[in-house]
Amino acid sequence: MLKFIAFFRRFRVFLVFLILQIAALSSFFSVMSYPRTQFFNSSTNVTGTLLTWERNVTKYLYLDEANEKLQAENVLLEHRIPDNYISIDTNTAKINDTLKRLSFERIPATVINSSHAHSNNYFTINAGTDKGIARKMGVVSSTGIVGIVYDVSENFAIVKSVLTKDINITAFIDKSNAHGLIKYDGVNPRKVSLTGFSNDIEVEIGSEVLARGSGGYFPQGEPIGVVEKLEPVEGQPRWDITVKLNQDMRKLRYVYIIKNIHQLELEEIEKNIPQLQ
Amino acid sequence: MNYLIKNILRLLIFVIAQGMIFGQLNFGFGIHPMIYPLFILMLPFDTRPVVLMILAFIAGISIDFFMNTFGLHASAAVFIAYIRPAIFRQFAPRDGYDILKEPIARDWGYPWFIKVSALTILLHHLWFFGLEYFKWSAWKEILMSTFLSTLISLTIFILIQVLFFKKSQKV
Repeated sequence: MLKFIAFFRRFRVFLVFLILQIAALSSFFSVMSYPRTQFFNSSTNVTGTLLTWERNVTKYLYLDEANEKLQAENVLLEHRIPDNYISIDTNTAKINDTLKRLSFERIPATVINSSHAHSNNYFTINAGTDKGIARKMGVVSSTGIVGIVYDVSENFAIVKSVLTKDINITAFIDKSNAHGLIKYDGVNPRKVSLTGFSNDIEVEIGSEVLARGSGGYFPQGEPIGVVEKLEPVEGQPRWDITVKLNQDMRKLRYVYIIKNIHQLELEEIEKNIPQLQ
Repeated sequence: MNYLIKNILRLLIFVIAQGMIFGQLNFGFGIHPMIYPLFILMLPFDTRPVVLMILAFIAGISIDFFMNTFGLHASAAVFIAYIRPAIFRQFAPRDGYDILKEPIARDWGYPWFIKVSALTILLHHLWFFGLEYFKWSAWKEILMSTFLSTLISLTIFILIQVLFFKKSQKV
């Protein structure tokens, strides 16, 4: 026993070092490998509040840009209001819109903290469970997809940005209908790669990349980016597609959280797929 | 007691400055300026190694809260707190350290300070970026981030020393 204590005393420093490293690294790697609710994040109230203060000071610098974007968005929305159209012929053009039901709701929020230079990036938004936000909801900006909600507290939420290695959003290229996975390789925050495309599918440079809507995170056809570069993967019958994101993640300020009203129903029915196989 | 309050204040200032100013700066090229290693460097010479590591862990975890890095900063901070005594021994002046003085450039000269902090920052950044990418194939990114960030962090360290730790008027 005395020897044991003597041993402990001699290596005390190293043991403390080991314990602290294990505490820090286990948290880091468990977050990186699979999603789990953690307490190490800025959705906790103290840092969240501090970051909100900072944001209140700096937000005036971005007002012009934000206004321009809102105007552009408003114009788009105006185009969709039936009042702005006159019917060509009242006998033939009869629109009955009640067949459609709302399936995706959008909740506005502001980004209060973000990173884009790491190989895995997260950002914090100022809306939490009190605004009806839950884990695994999709997050979009006015121009494209930006991430998926990773963790929520009462007033804040952390979003796993599209610039994360294991984000794996399913996407398809407009007109070809073939689909693949969006991945980030940690180099350029403007670009992601689209994997899983067999090279017998024709892909045009400049065509749009849209969300496929699997998992119910995003509405189908939500824009992501455009195809920028196309290269064959050496030794494999695949394309290596570089996609330029519509939303510059370095300038992200205002986002919408997408709430799928039929999420539960979708999950319930998709649960049966493994059993059928 | 005086030392205790001074260092707690320093801890708060460094964490908030890192989380709200230096962590939000974006230089591109994988550069992340980090100033909190300076807090660990500037703790008194006679701080016991265990206390040093626990303080480094607290500083690192607080920065993780700001930056959403989930323990990465804590790990790197504990690492440099662990090797700080060895680095200090390596660059010790001929007749040892006077433990009543603080480990800052004013008391020990800029050549000593730059040598010590350059080595500390280099090891810290290598540990940090190595763990962040965590694969051999990313060695180019790791080395680039490490060297460029080391240059920027070292510059900031020296600026802090020049601006905030001037020679006092009274002797």
